[in-house]
Amino acid sequence: MPTNNPLPPKENALFKRILKCYEQKQYKNGLKFAKQILVNPKFSEHGETLAMKGLTLNCLGRKEEAYDYVRRGLRNDLKSHVCWHVYGLLQRSDRKYDEAIKCYRNALKWDKDNLQILRDLSLLQIQMRDLEGYRDTRYQLLVLRPGQRASWIGYAMAYHLLKDYAMALRILEEFRKTQSQPKAFDYEHSELLLYQNMVMREAGMHTEALTHLHDYDKQIVDRLNVSETKADILLKLGRSDEAGAIYRDLINRNPENWAYYKGYEESVKLEAVEERLSFYKEVTERFPRATTPKRLPLTFSSGETFRNLVDQYLRNALRKGVPPLFVVLRPLYSDPEKVKIIEELVLGYAQCLHETGHFDKDTSVEVEPATVLLWTYYYLAHHFDQTRQLQRAMEYVNMGLDHTPLLIELYVLKAKIFKHSGDMEEAVRMMDEAQSLDTADRYINSKCAKYMLRANMIQEACDMCSKFTREGVSAVESLNEMQCMWFQTECAAAYQRLGKWGEALKKCHEVDRHFTEIIEDQFDFHTYCMRKMTLRAYVSLLRLEDRLRSHHFFFKAARIAIQIYLHLHDHPLADSEQDSSLDTENLSPSELKKMKRKQRKAQKKAEVEQQKQKAEMERREQNKNKAADGEMDGPKEEELVPDKLARTEEPLEQAVKFLRPLQSLIPENVETHTLAYEIYSRKGKLLLMLQSIKRGFAADPDDPELHTCLVRFQMHVKSQGDLPLPVQTVINQEMVKIYGDKDPNTLNEEFLQRHNNSLEHLLAAARMMYALDKTTQDKALRLATTLSTDTDGVTLKTCTRVLECLCGGNFGTCEATIHNYQTQCQALFPSATVFTSPSPCSKTTPEGSVLTNGSVS
Amino acid sequence: MAAEEETVDLEDTENEQESKTKKSAKHDSGAADLEKVTDYVEEAEISSNNLDDAMKVVSDQQTREAKAKQEKEKELSKVKINKDDVDLIVQELEIPRMKAERILRECKGNVVEALTELIN
Repeated sequence: MPTNNPLPPKENALFKRILKCYEQKQYKNGLKFAKQILVNPKFSEHGETLAMKGLTLNCLGRKEEAYDYVRRGLRNDLKSHVCWHVYGLLQRSDRKYDEAIKCYRNALKWDKDNLQILRDLSLLQIQMRDLEGYRDTRYQLLVLRPGQRASWIGYAMAYHLLKDYAMALRILEEFRKTQSQPKAFDYEHSELLLYQNMVMREAGMHTEALTHLHDYDKQIVDRLNVSETKADILLKLGRSDEAGAIYRDLINRNPENWAYYKGYEESVKLEAVEERLSFYKEVTERFPRATTPKRLPLTFSSGETFRNLVDQYLRNALRKGVPPLFVVLRPLYSDPEKVKIIEELVLGYAQCLHETGHFDKDTSVEVEPATVLLWTYYYLAHHFDQTRQLQRAMEYVNMGLDHTPLLIELYVLKAKIFKHSGDMEEAVRMMDEAQSLDTADRYINSKCAKYMLRANMIQEACDMCSKFTREGVSAVESLNEMQCMWFQTECAAAYQRLGKWGEALKKCHEVDRHFTEIIEDQFDFHTYCMRKMTLRAYVSLLRLEDRLRSHHFFFKAARIAIQIYLHLHDHPLADSEQDSSLDTENLSPSELKKMKRKQRKAQKKAEVEQQKQKAEMERREQNKNKAADGEMDGPKEEELVPDKLARTEEPLEQAVKFLRPLQSLIPENVETHTLAYEIYSRKGKLLLMLQSIKRGFAADPDDPELHTCLVRFQMHVKSQGDLPLPVQTVINQEMVKIYGDKDPNTLNEEFLQRHNNSLEHLLAAARMMYALDKTTQDKALRLATTLSTDTDGVTLKTCTRVLECLCGGNFGTCEATIHNYQTQCQALFPSATVFTSPSPCSKTTPEGSVLTNGSVS
Repeated sequence: MAAEEETVDLEDTENEQESKTKKSAKHDSGAADLEKVTDYVEEAEISSNNLDDAMKVVSDQQTREAKAKQEKEKELSKVKINKDDVDLIVQELEIPRMKAERILRECKGNVVEALTELIN
């Protein structure tokens, strides 16, 4: 076997052309040249050519052949760095990064100074965030090629990411010195300087950063950034006057940026309300069309001043007909005084406009246009929806509809009011109405689909979305392809409510894969950004990717997945069981028949649909193969089969997979830790349970759900027999810190006293009371079912949760109480469908599930 | 024969390039830009004489660091750890063995300290 098999000159030239073709993405030509070498029987087993042929085939999407050729090539020439390198590239394209790194290391054994391999290795290291390895590789590259820009930048960046700012700056400065006088408007050089400046500021070297900006002022082309940065540094250095002057300029440049006003106020230390008001007044005079200087004073003013200002603001907006007026003012609703003033004003407008066509009693001015009254009604409906006076909200939205029957905004708002009163079906009907008024509006279309999902009408939602998705592909598939995550998380929640665990899990996994995909997409930018010198943007990209799964889309999906896996652990699916838990017991035989017929029909329809899709898929697959430039789209992923997902052998391990990113990225959210507790308590891992409550305690010691974890943990520890000594020591030592010397009963009693005014907390305490002592059932039930108006949080959402707990057996059997509670709630929330009988208890709701129906949005 | 084939190839290349430009024209510019992200570009060389000085600064630091790291590793590897303790940590906290060993070494073999550290 040839160890190192050099080709004769002619073939060698051909081989070089293969490499060139690969770099220039001319894969077909590459294959031709490879063939020319391989047809010669003398070279038919030439390792490096075989490997290159495989790599080229891989780029054309012919994965299996690719692996065959590359492996064959490697076997024929184990001492060739090319073969190892190619094998590494192949593994990399399949995202087996650890394997790829091993291959590169092997390749470097045979050619330790190979630039291309070192570069590829460094790319993998930064992708995997092996920062120290990255630094070492970048060092080797620098030693080998000190003449290249990227060598310096990469090495400096390694130190920057390792937070060794001094070293990073030294390298950058040495490199900058080597640069000859830059041309005028040299964008890349300008970016380099700004990057250098960014490192300085991160190192806390504000004075140096300021001097730096000053020294290289002429060479920096991003003028806005220079101003913003300067102002920020000056502010930090306490040089207020200079900072104020720059913020002034920035406001003149763009009077709508809130940050500039904040910076200005901070730098000139505007504190007294009058001073601030006069400043904003002056800006308003200079920029009469700018809205920001008019909006900001509403936040800090109060009393009469606020009344006058908001009066002006509202009148202008209503006259103009600004639909998002309420959205702009909503932040003010945290202040009850302001809410009252706004309410008085707008009610006053409505009355006067209705009677005389003017905003107030003063009739000397011109009559307002008719639409002003309409927008006033619209605002009032929003207002009362926000303050949860839903009946009044409904009255105003209906008055609006009487005024202008075809205004889409009114239908959307009406749907929202229905949603807040707990009648999802009516809400969907309204939203559908809105949608039908303008079928070309994708926003309304999506809104409608979302409402349908909230009402568990999944098929209808898909049909709705399909009006805008690509033809020939099912909407669900197309939305998945487009990473449309709002749809997928809502869909998962709907399946969860329906008890279709497998389907719901499929959606959750799809969302998880999108996040993986986004992280993979980073790869190409490691070279690209370095080359284009967009270093600031690159560093912020890296930081974004590091925290990617802290996004609320992921949190939502992960929460659903964890809840379902917990449920599946507690109630595994029986072999024959369908994973929909429709309750058939309460149906009459004829109803049952009807339902079965319906199900069969639906199944048939689904099958036909599936077959169509399959055919379509195949067709596209073929097309793809035909298309010459197959893209490197990563490995084919395992298909997600709902039934298989729901029948997993290890639900808790799966749950942990979703939990891990939450633990590392969202530790400040107490729910992360209560979810963790639920998982680990089922695994019986005491220390991990302790870890969860410790972290949860740090995040929010008063959280009701966490309280139940605290009590349950104490009970659990008590019930344990002998523990390994170190474990026992750690538990004792840590528990004292959280519990002091309180026993569970005292703990619960104290919690109850501390929060006797909040329904959520009462519910948690009551649940634990019953768990600790079954004889307290009466008292616990009384606490949980209180609906007195003095208690905070008697909302549709919390009351629904109470009902779930009652039905879920948290208080033992209590049929009478449930019935009673339902009647009472029905009186309180007349439109809410959850409280109408038959009781929702017949539906199995997953333990701890959060009904999102009533969420405020 | 080879020459003949080469000319054919060249034509092919041209055709392909042509079709490529056509393709990018069809797409909007955003997609075309994205395509460029994966292009291969040769680095330009800097022409400068001060590189040597710059290099010297850098290499000194590198050697110092490597040394410090080595010493720390040596220090850590000297710590004696109990296999049962490692097993306990792995079992209780579900972390990889390597990580468990390292933490235990960093806590000088004190298992209670290591466990406390890990649940914080």
